[in-house]
Amino acid sequence: MAIDRDDFVISIRSALLKKGAKQKFSLFFLIVLSILIITLDKYSFSYMKSARGVLNDLVYHVSIISSQPVVFKKYIFNKTSQHYSVVNENISLKKELNYLKKQKFKNAYLSSENEILKNALVLSDNKSYEQNFSISARVILDQNSPFLKSILINKGTNSNITKGMTVFSNDFLMGTVIEANYLTSRVLLLTDLNSKIPVIIENTNINAILEGTGKKKNLNLNYLPENYEIEPDKIIFSSGKDGFLIPGIPVAETYLNKKNKVLIKLLGDPNQAYIVNITNGQITR
Amino acid sequence: MLYFRILKQKIFTSLPIIFLYFFSFYHFQTPEVGKINFFAFNFSMILIYFYVLKFPEDLGYENIFLAGIINDTVIGTPLGTTSLSYLSLSLFTSYIRNATLRSIMTTEWFTFIPALFFSNLIYLLVINNFSNVSFYYLELLQSTFFTFLFFPIFYYIFSSYQRLISKN
Repeated sequence: MAIDRDDFVISIRSALLKKGAKQKFSLFFLIVLSILIITLDKYSFSYMKSARGVLNDLVYHVSIISSQPVVFKKYIFNKTSQHYSVVNENISLKKELNYLKKQKFKNAYLSSENEILKNALVLSDNKSYEQNFSISARVILDQNSPFLKSILINKGTNSNITKGMTVFSNDFLMGTVIEANYLTSRVLLLTDLNSKIPVIIENTNINAILEGTGKKKNLNLNYLPENYEIEPDKIIFSSGKDGFLIPGIPVAETYLNKKNKVLIKLLGDPNQAYIVNITNGQITR
Repeated sequence: MLYFRILKQKIFTSLPIIFLYFFSFYHFQTPEVGKINFFAFNFSMILIYFYVLKFPEDLGYENIFLAGIINDTVIGTPLGTTSLSYLSLSLFTSYIRNATLRSIMTTEWFTFIPALFFSNLIYLLVINNFSNVSFYYLELLQSTFFTFLFFPIFYYIFSSYQRLISKN
């Protein structure tokens, strides 16, 4: 029995302290260093914050570079599919043109197309309210980590972004800034477990807390009144009870799934966000 | 010619380290089938377990530590958490290597279970005690299960690769 214990101690000691020919540090030293870093990070000393900021900026930029092969693959795939869709579109347009020539409706077609384009132009001129107000940033990394639903944007403290700012995409609330480095920032999405915002349900005076679950089509409403059942097709707005967001920002909507169960989904799609707007918590209409 | 051969050898032996760093910097998205993400496995853990067990000289502990720090920065967990988790996996693996006389793939596959358990336990303990981050326990369980399940495939890939290098 004593021999077994001795063997165990020798094996553990050897695993912890033995260094290979190419290794500079022992496992024991690196484990102690990790624990030290965790402790320093936990108590957030000022020098640790600045060191982490520099490390974050550096790692994020290398991470962006390392994701380029995948981005390039997506680009090639999109271009190829675009090419084939253009070819198909071309064939169908030719058929359409012949048909129109035969029917002598060319002028009518052009005038109606003109009308449509004019309408589109008016819509594009009508800038959304947030664009006049906020800082715009580009999403540079959307890694879909299984542990934190967040994105990285290309603006940081150098563009006056601070921790706690609110992020919008296409007029819909998307999340809040949880980490601001000098050149980059991390945005915690509404879908994350840690995201909680006070909301009110359309046509009711019922207040609740909207919580993320990690899934964009299944969010949670907590602190609802007892025996209250959520109805489908209701819009959920921010209630402004936190004194931070203005009330009335559309956030999510209820819907019926295939099993006739009422679920809550976000109005905006965080995965599709490319350009986002960051405000200091409020938006002006 | 000799210089080129040395360079080629250097690149081939450094490939596991390159992969370790690459997967720390880049977290690839895997397709979900229904509610289960079959391909959500931790490649870094398989790589660390295999190389610390079989070729400890090829993958230094310093690289494992640094890859963990990078991983923490990318996914936003407290700095040092993944390093500690990876190093505890290395410690367990190193112990297995010292304690085992004759190794076969099946025993190494099954000793991967306590190694993963030990490593994830350290990870959860640090996350729960040193941060306010909520945790997706089910996804971690899923990822751990598929990491264990895919181990034999990578075992054969890595073994074949190492055989190929030693031949050259």
